[in-house]
Amino acid sequence: MTRGRDLVVVAESVAKRYRRYGKTRAFGTLKSAFLGRGLAEALSPSDSVQALDDVSFGVLRGETFGVIGANGSGKSTLLKLVAGILKPSAGRLSVNGKVSALIELGAGFHPEISGRENVVINGVMLGLTRKEIERKLPGIVAFAGLEDFIDQPVKTYSSGMYVRLGFAVAVHVDPDILVVDEVLAVGDEAFSRRCLDTIAEFSARGKTIFFVSHALGLVEELCDRVLYLEQGRVKGLGETREMLAAYRLDVAAGEGERLAVEHVKVQEELRAEPAAVASPPETAPAPSPSPEKPRRWGDRSAVITACRLLGGDGKERYSFASGDAITLEIEAAPARPLDDFVFGVGLFTPEDVCVHGTNTEVDGFLPGRFDGPATVRLTLPRVELGAGSYLVDVAIHSRRGTPYDYWRGACRFHVESSSQDAGFWSPERSWSVAGGARLSRS
Amino acid sequence: MHDGLRDLLRHRALIGVLVARELKARYRGSVLGYFWSLLNPLLMLAVYAVVFTLVFPGRSSATSPYAVFLFCGLLPWNWLASSLTDAAASLVVHGPLLKKVLFPAEVLPAVAVLSQGVHFLLALPVLLAALLLGAAGLFGRPVPVTAALVQVPALLLLEGLFVLGLGLFLAALTVHFRDVKDLLATALSLWFFGTPVLYTLSEMKDGTLKEILSWNPVAPLFAAWHDALFYGRWIGPGRWLVIAAVSLAALAIGAAFFGRLRDSFPEAV
Repeated sequence: MTRGRDLVVVAESVAKRYRRYGKTRAFGTLKSAFLGRGLAEALSPSDSVQALDDVSFGVLRGETFGVIGANGSGKSTLLKLVAGILKPSAGRLSVNGKVSALIELGAGFHPEISGRENVVINGVMLGLTRKEIERKLPGIVAFAGLEDFIDQPVKTYSSGMYVRLGFAVAVHVDPDILVVDEVLAVGDEAFSRRCLDTIAEFSARGKTIFFVSHALGLVEELCDRVLYLEQGRVKGLGETREMLAAYRLDVAAGEGERLAVEHVKVQEELRAEPAAVASPPETAPAPSPSPEKPRRWGDRSAVITACRLLGGDGKERYSFASGDAITLEIEAAPARPLDDFVFGVGLFTPEDVCVHGTNTEVDGFLPGRFDGPATVRLTLPRVELGAGSYLVDVAIHSRRGTPYDYWRGACRFHVESSSQDAGFWSPERSWSVAGGARLSRS
Repeated sequence: MHDGLRDLLRHRALIGVLVARELKARYRGSVLGYFWSLLNPLLMLAVYAVVFTLVFPGRSSATSPYAVFLFCGLLPWNWLASSLTDAAASLVVHGPLLKKVLFPAEVLPAVAVLSQGVHFLLALPVLLAALLLGAAGLFGRPVPVTAALVQVPALLLLEGLFVLGLGLFLAALTVHFRDVKDLLATALSLWFFGTPVLYTLSEMKDGTLKEILSWNPVAPLFAAWHDALFYGRWIGPGRWLVIAAVSLAALAIGAAFFGRLRDSFPEAV
């Protein structure tokens, strides 16, 4: 694949260290520089933050190259280095060709003068001559859809119009390398579609695109290869699907860890909260104004002492893939021997939509005797949920519905999905097409 | 340093459109338009003229008619002062540009100096009119209007280079020290009285004060402005050499300082 094609961006052990000047975090004053340390000392960096470290990669001509990573992984820094805005602190970075950066669209616009004049200035800023930009002007105006407003001062534009005009100029300067940041999220649906089409068309014309995004779907759609950054270092570099899968896995693992920590905290909070209220604030399951906040009520004839989620391997976890088995384990103890009791479980989205609700009675169990600490397990062999987070309500109540102990949001877990499908149900599915339409596997 | 200056030449088209934008944005929406740029120096002139001819009269005949004399020094000074103020703030004001776009930073102080230079140029015809009226004896003693006026473009160029150099220095400094702007305002008003704008050094009594004031790097420049505009005298080669040396030194130091710090701008601005 690399044979016969040349590299337009080459990074060799690139590092970027952000320097902080002066002791104060903001900015120093000349007065303090003269009164305190010497001027030279005040101008020399006193502190530094390593944003990128030992990053090496090459981008081929005509390739769409994606960069992914969590916030603070150094994506934006890398983008600015490639765009030439920043200089690497160490290593070598060479970029061959004219770069146009879609980082902050319309950053150079002056509010007081007309859109037309701003386009000319912006074009010159991006390296065109006046004549070239004037020739391209009608195309730019049409692309941005601002024919009626182009002679108005830019300060009268909406933010969408502003961005559209900025994007139009940036893509019309005909760069060899287009550097795209998280800019496509702005503007309406139609316009972002048109931006994507423009980028795709760029790519079709053999131009190189350097793409940074959190929108993994877009990365998957557009990119040939992906660089995965983690805390300023290269975590992986390779084929798009592979890198995205690795990234998603890491995100899920991180999310799982976070939720496990949170789970412990929630459990402690709930244990501390006395279930003095005999009845729920409203009918159960009470639509609480903030479903994020755990609630507990009941007359404490029986109490839930702990609840946790287990994976298919029997280990406690709070992050699952769609289709995994989940076991909910409830530990409970009665205050006095009971023969009227039901164990119930409810599954909710953060928007408080009930995904599933069941209890031992609904599922055909009659209460026998409950006279000592017990462990109740509910196993769901295939949880076909869509990506997102979910809350679990756990309850013990009488057959008539009198709550003994009702825990709202007792557990919270996260589902990761490799599919881009929508909604909270992600069923197993298959397509078949007959007749004049044909589909092929992507 | 030479790279920085070469970049300025390379980006002259950009500088051109930005200066035009600056002027357009300033005059847009104001009825008086470019007359605003005249009104300010004219008002200042009127105040100084009233103060020094009516309130404190008794000046030597060397600077008479005083109003015209003042005008000849005030306009170049205003260019210097307003350019430095704008240039010092230019990088900080246009921070987003430096942070988010590949933008040649040295262009910004240059645009500040040149836009203010245009205001100066626009005021020159008014100065010329004042000189001609003065020559006709309208303000008292006739002002000699001679061919010495052809020295004006050279003075413009040399002052421009000096201001650009100092402007680059101040702009870079302001990025790291935000109080430069405030200090500059004070420094400029001190500097104004330390510069032969309201007076000439030659009419001062010899002494320590004159000794000190003659070390002011722009003193030769302003003496030259007075000679070229007001006295209609030719400036000797020795003086040209001094003025040129000061301007080029300022430019060299300013550009070198700016070049040293320029990589830090996108992060620190």
